[in-house]
Amino acid sequence: MNTKQVQKFVISYLDSMDCHLIEKSPSSVTVKLSPDADRALTNRPYYWSFVDRTGADPETMTYRWSFENPSMADRASATPISYIMTESGRIIQEDVYFGSRRLHQLFGAAQQSGRCVTLFEEPPRGKGDPLGSQPYTAWLGVNFKVGFECDMKREEIYGWGISLATGVINEKFMETLRDRRLTPRLPSNVHLLKNGLSLRKGMSQLELTMERKLKTTDFTWAVEAEQRRQDELERIRQYYNPMLEHMNHPDQQEQKATLSARFQQREAEIDWQYRPRVSVSVTNCGIFHLPGIH
Amino acid sequence: MQTPFPSPAGTPTGAASPAVQLSNEPLATTAADDGVAYTDAPFKSPAGLSSDPAPRKLHPLVEMHVERGAFEELERRVERNGPWDDWSMYQLALEAEEASLVSDFHALRCLSLLPHFEPLPHQVDTARKVLHEMRGRAILADEVGLGKTIEAGLILKEYLIRGLVKKVLILVPASLVLQWVRELNSKFDIPAVAQRKAYSWDNDIVVASMDTAKRDPNRAMLLDNEFDLIIVDEAHKLKNKRTSNYQFINELRKKYCLLLTATPVQNDLSELYNLITLLKPGQLGGEGDFAANFVADRRIPKNEAKLHEALSQVMIRNRRSDGGVEFTKRFVTNVPLRLSPEEMALYEGVTNYVRNHATSESGGDFTSMLSLVTLQREVCSSRDAVFLTLINLDKKMAEDSPLRPRILELVDLIRSIKANTKAEKTMELIRSIDDKVIVFTEYRATQDYLIRFFKEHDLSAIPYRGGMNRGKKDWMMDLFRRRAQVMVATEAGGEGINLQFCHHVINFDLPWNPMRVEQRIGRVHRLGQTEDVQIFNLCTLGTIEEHIVHLLHEKINMFELVIGELDEIIQQLEKEVSLEQRLAQMVLESADAEELRKRIDGLGDALLATKNQLHRENQP
Repeated sequence: MNTKQVQKFVISYLDSMDCHLIEKSPSSVTVKLSPDADRALTNRPYYWSFVDRTGADPETMTYRWSFENPSMADRASATPISYIMTESGRIIQEDVYFGSRRLHQLFGAAQQSGRCVTLFEEPPRGKGDPLGSQPYTAWLGVNFKVGFECDMKREEIYGWGISLATGVINEKFMETLRDRRLTPRLPSNVHLLKNGLSLRKGMSQLELTMERKLKTTDFTWAVEAEQRRQDELERIRQYYNPMLEHMNHPDQQEQKATLSARFQQREAEIDWQYRPRVSVSVTNCGIFHLPGIH
Repeated sequence: MQTPFPSPAGTPTGAASPAVQLSNEPLATTAADDGVAYTDAPFKSPAGLSSDPAPRKLHPLVEMHVERGAFEELERRVERNGPWDDWSMYQLALEAEEASLVSDFHALRCLSLLPHFEPLPHQVDTARKVLHEMRGRAILADEVGLGKTIEAGLILKEYLIRGLVKKVLILVPASLVLQWVRELNSKFDIPAVAQRKAYSWDNDIVVASMDTAKRDPNRAMLLDNEFDLIIVDEAHKLKNKRTSNYQFINELRKKYCLLLTATPVQNDLSELYNLITLLKPGQLGGEGDFAANFVADRRIPKNEAKLHEALSQVMIRNRRSDGGVEFTKRFVTNVPLRLSPEEMALYEGVTNYVRNHATSESGGDFTSMLSLVTLQREVCSSRDAVFLTLINLDKKMAEDSPLRPRILELVDLIRSIKANTKAEKTMELIRSIDDKVIVFTEYRATQDYLIRFFKEHDLSAIPYRGGMNRGKKDWMMDLFRRRAQVMVATEAGGEGINLQFCHHVINFDLPWNPMRVEQRIGRVHRLGQTEDVQIFNLCTLGTIEEHIVHLLHEKINMFELVIGELDEIIQQLEKEVSLEQRLAQMVLESADAEELRKRIDGLGDALLATKNQLHRENQP
């Protein structure tokens, strides 16, 4: 993410959280957080529980976030947190760049409050029969993250959707949504088609399709990881087995038990480190009502 | 242990699960309309979900696990008819996921996340090699000064970003705990926490001292846990298999493991074997195989090529001589000066006192004699320093001691001194340098005097000493950086003072321990210094100071040794008695300056010989 993308991301987040932007430029933003954003970002659970219990007017924090990459020299000369006092109160200054803790936290906060949606596409204005009613199909849209893991890791993202009316799957679903105007309210002159699939059924269809797709991918990485796992296992066997074989004296029973426990522990560690696996997780998902019968 | 790999981002299975995961990140909760707070459901065992059949096989070797927490939440919200999240937030969430995506197995993603910090090429290479070839289990054995901590930080950061590591234990000597935490925090933005209280262990990334960690109840608790990564600094302390340190590390359950040491082999090949066995048992074969295949004698390996190959799979040792790391130059200037007649009279007086006193009690208490030598050194620094010591000496004496009048005589000599030759010279130097300068002295009293003296001459100077707490030290450094031209410091060692923005050092007086001199210079002359470093040694002629400067500068040429070389030399030489003590002994035992000079020369030769021997050993 470059400076511009970071700036755009931060401003969009603040806007969505109804924060008050006091000053805004390409290189920085000064913002008074909304109560919701303050709860999500400032790590003040005691303060907020005080506000909730007493009904006091909340006083939210004000930040000035700079987006320019600070050079090492500048960073060294800046104290980690700096304040400016103004008439309206204290402003905390921070650097927000790709890799900074604050941006990382904003990522997490966005994922926390952008998990589940139900949306309708707005019908084009002025067109169509004012008395007629347009049919809308419900889609289950799911953003999947797929992780290919062994002692290393790689990830992919899939933004898929399935029509709950017909079970048709669109593998470019998230992309097709980008240009549409979506609203949380049901537009007028619209009727929703009856769903043929339950949500759960739709989800398992998506998962099955994902499974079929992943089965056809290249598993060289996994074969290689398995080879490494076997090599590692072989290495520790060569180390432990001769020692265990030599411990035959009755007095050595206890020692032998300890050693073989250690052996098993090492085996488990190697398994933990190398065994190839694929993990699929849902970043976020929603129900999207779109015009047409699909 | 049943499933040996819980999702690295999830709760560890087995005995580890009761440990509460207190995240450093504020727990983002969205208070919903109906008052229920939704939090991110921790990843439980995939088989635990009602709708999910057993994990599915994608390939004979690979199972697919599905984590569908967000979908289940969608179902719950449908049942309750909301609340629904914002569309733009939904898109931002995906954008965040895309930005953080680890799109390939190999690239070092951490580099793009550290925009304000540029690791050196050998550090990046090392990180890459550990991640991709050594599979996260390695001994980092760079020579001192090449940045082993940076390499470990890069590796840790990369694993964190990739989500392969969450729970980390970093074990270091107690004196380095804070330095590690600060380094990880400031350079790498890694939320590491120093272990202070029992609850500190609940953090994901903990830095603790080995001694604390291996003590119960910590030990039992840590052994019950699983760690994605363990880092051990000063790992040469693990060379003996029978020590509690070794056994502790051996018992810990770990996935990746980094051992850091500058001196992987000191005395014995079997020590190296032990270290490697800790990391990868069997890498060098069984104990018997190793002895048969690689050991000719305790210190002499055989089949070296083969040993090297086996070692290179688990150990990386970057050397300064490999190049690639450019340190700026050091220029050393000795500034000889003559004491004023009054000062010289005091010096003579103290020297006589020391001689007489030492001989009158010869064969007596050696340590009290050592403190007498200090007197002589103090005269070379400032009258304030020697005054304080004399007064303390006087207080400790019996009322009727015959020495008391002699001390009072010396105090009278001090009274007659009106000016400090060295301070005036220093002032002159600082004016001519006209840039930031750090002045080092051994004595508190001298430090106070200098700050007063500079102030009288309209020069603001910042004090810095070991007794200050962390916050005050930081504040002083900050003041020096922003406001003052001069810092007067008594402490050179200790952690965390990095003054690369300054490249002039004045040694107002010299410590007798060359390591301390090196530490002083190391504050400014280190990785990150962009200018050549100017060092000025003030040296009063006709005093013991002259001898010390002669030894350090002309004899062993220590100021021009490569960084890190000195500690190896000293370590070799100081096996029995410290260098400082030897020097003191020479001063006390020598009849005159000539003899002293000869004996110090002898010591210099011994240092030189050690240096040459080390040079030969370090040749590949």
